[in-house]
Amino acid sequence: MVMAGDWDHSRAVDLVNKCVSREMRPGIPLPGDSVDLVNTGLIDLMGWVGILTAIEDETGIQTFGNLWPEGQSQSIGSLVAEIVRFKIARKCEFVGARTPEPANSNIGISLVGWGHAVGSLRIGATAIQAECNLAAGTISERAGIESVARVDGNESELTLAQHATEIALQTANLDPEKEDLLVVTSATHLGFPSLAATLHIRLLLREPCCALDVGGACVGVIYALATAKALLLATRQNVALVVASEVNSRRFLSPSVPGEFRGLFGDGACAFVLARSDSVKGDENLRLGDFIWGCDGTSSAALRLSLHETGTVEVQFKGEQLAKAAALHLGRILEGLETLAGSPRTSVDYFAIHEPNPRLVQVISQNSQIPMDKIAQVCKSFGNLGSATCGVGLSKALSKTRASRTAEHRPLIFVAAVGPGLLWGGTYLH
Amino acid sequence: MGAGYCVIGLEQTSPDSFCSTRPLPPKAFAWREPFPFKRGDSIYFEPVPTVAKRPHIEDQQCNGLQPTDRSLGEAELVECLRKAEFSSTLEYLFECQPQSSSGGGRAVWVNPQEAKRSICGCEYDNIRFRLFPERDGFNLRAKLALASGERLDSIPIVDREWCRFAGSLVQRIKRSDPLPLAERFMNRSVANKLCATLKRFARIGLPRPRGDQQCWLMQDSLFPQPNSFWLDEI
Repeated sequence: MVMAGDWDHSRAVDLVNKCVSREMRPGIPLPGDSVDLVNTGLIDLMGWVGILTAIEDETGIQTFGNLWPEGQSQSIGSLVAEIVRFKIARKCEFVGARTPEPANSNIGISLVGWGHAVGSLRIGATAIQAECNLAAGTISERAGIESVARVDGNESELTLAQHATEIALQTANLDPEKEDLLVVTSATHLGFPSLAATLHIRLLLREPCCALDVGGACVGVIYALATAKALLLATRQNVALVVASEVNSRRFLSPSVPGEFRGLFGDGACAFVLARSDSVKGDENLRLGDFIWGCDGTSSAALRLSLHETGTVEVQFKGEQLAKAAALHLGRILEGLETLAGSPRTSVDYFAIHEPNPRLVQVISQNSQIPMDKIAQVCKSFGNLGSATCGVGLSKALSKTRASRTAEHRPLIFVAAVGPGLLWGGTYLH
Repeated sequence: MGAGYCVIGLEQTSPDSFCSTRPLPPKAFAWREPFPFKRGDSIYFEPVPTVAKRPHIEDQQCNGLQPTDRSLGEAELVECLRKAEFSSTLEYLFECQPQSSSGGGRAVWVNPQEAKRSICGCEYDNIRFRLFPERDGFNLRAKLALASGERLDSIPIVDREWCRFAGSLVQRIKRSDPLPLAERFMNRSVANKLCATLKRFARIGLPRPRGDQQCWLMQDSLFPQPNSFWLDEI
């Protein structure tokens, strides 16, 4: 795709000639500029639509077909004229075309849409304990989980992701066809086409919209946000969709997975719409800040998951060691974010953190001196949602602060997560 | 597609299966006005010997259509259609590989020599509509995400009820340039209604081959069918 600003008359002529000749029968020369292609029978209506969509793809003028003036000649000359006219008159409405970097660039990335979805079933702690052959109180008292969200037979990573995305797009008041990038993370969707490709198809995104998957397990959504932000800035495209979706209940169904591990997890997804924005103009949308991340190999043996040859999941889970490492690193991430954001944690409005279980959240709250009411407490009702946990927390925080948000007062939100590795990462929104 | 009604019906072949049959008037491919039947009506006809040309193997000439006193509702009709030709993948729709336009367009076609039939049902998970302006109105097309995880990117909708619905929608929008607004309504309100149901089902058909030996896929029926009350939301 070329930049919107690059279209002059000769370039438009080249493009139109290319698109028209593709649709004409082989061996037939291109007609003159003013010859009506459809009326003269050189192409049929199917071919005309093919020309319009090819021009849309090449120029990024998404509504080119819609804008075709009724009664106007369907000729090469009029196609060229429309491309040039559109460029002059409505350059700012090019969708998918790259925006030229302005002088003294001060471009930021805003979070303009968000949403989340969890499995439609709620399984109470008592039922989980019975199902996982755990002693009474293991899930309800020791972990502090009241219930977990699980998918029913009709739900999957794909449907949860789709649902969360539709909510996010609605919040952003955007159509799926505006998206330029789709960055997806999931630890439980195994196989190809990947979840990004599958979701791209399901959402009917434009073909030139990039679809890619990133890893990170429980830190995945932070890595996905970082990837999307970097790509938006590097490619100078405009809108990105970031999605995390996990269906742990199916992945951990195998009897080889320890019950005290399996019982902690729920199924859910979150989605965010990121958009380039000129930070000179004030608006109420939160800007995505910088990132910190790392990998501490000393705790890598605390949690290992692998696929056995038979396809079953094998888990090595040292709960106490993992909990200590997680609490330690989440505390460190918060310290790092204070420096990065230039604000103490006391001025932070919400904390969207990874929540392995409610008891650990309490420990982190006490150790890090964060009031519990500033944490979404996702896992208490839904369980540990893997990569979607801190994303669902962020989605809830954004909804909660939406009404009170103004261009002058935008809340500060810290996002932090840890995952197997031990991978860790954090960012902030303001 | 010529003028008139191209009628495709179902013939019960066992208690639990149906096959498509396309009753044709003696010397044409379509029935002219006045055509007294509506979707779901049960009809009777006396077949006459017919040489059906591939891929339109469902063709069956007859001397006329007779009404019966039976008519199926939408839910019952879709149930029957699911028990007729049905595919969960693009390739099995016509039992041959659909081809993309070499010109880069998004519509797909099959070779009539390879296609084993001219009509098949499938389930879809998502839909987006496009309304392309044409000299006499507009060309209604759709992108379909199939339940198989594949997608059809630009398929013309020839379903009579959907074309009429879109036509009524465009007429209701009192603007000189109604199509963008109509398209937005179709994609935000109407598509959401379709995706919210579990009755999502489409019948994909093939037109008669022309000289280029390409049969471009088209959407013959789209379920749920449109409801004129939806237009009141405008």
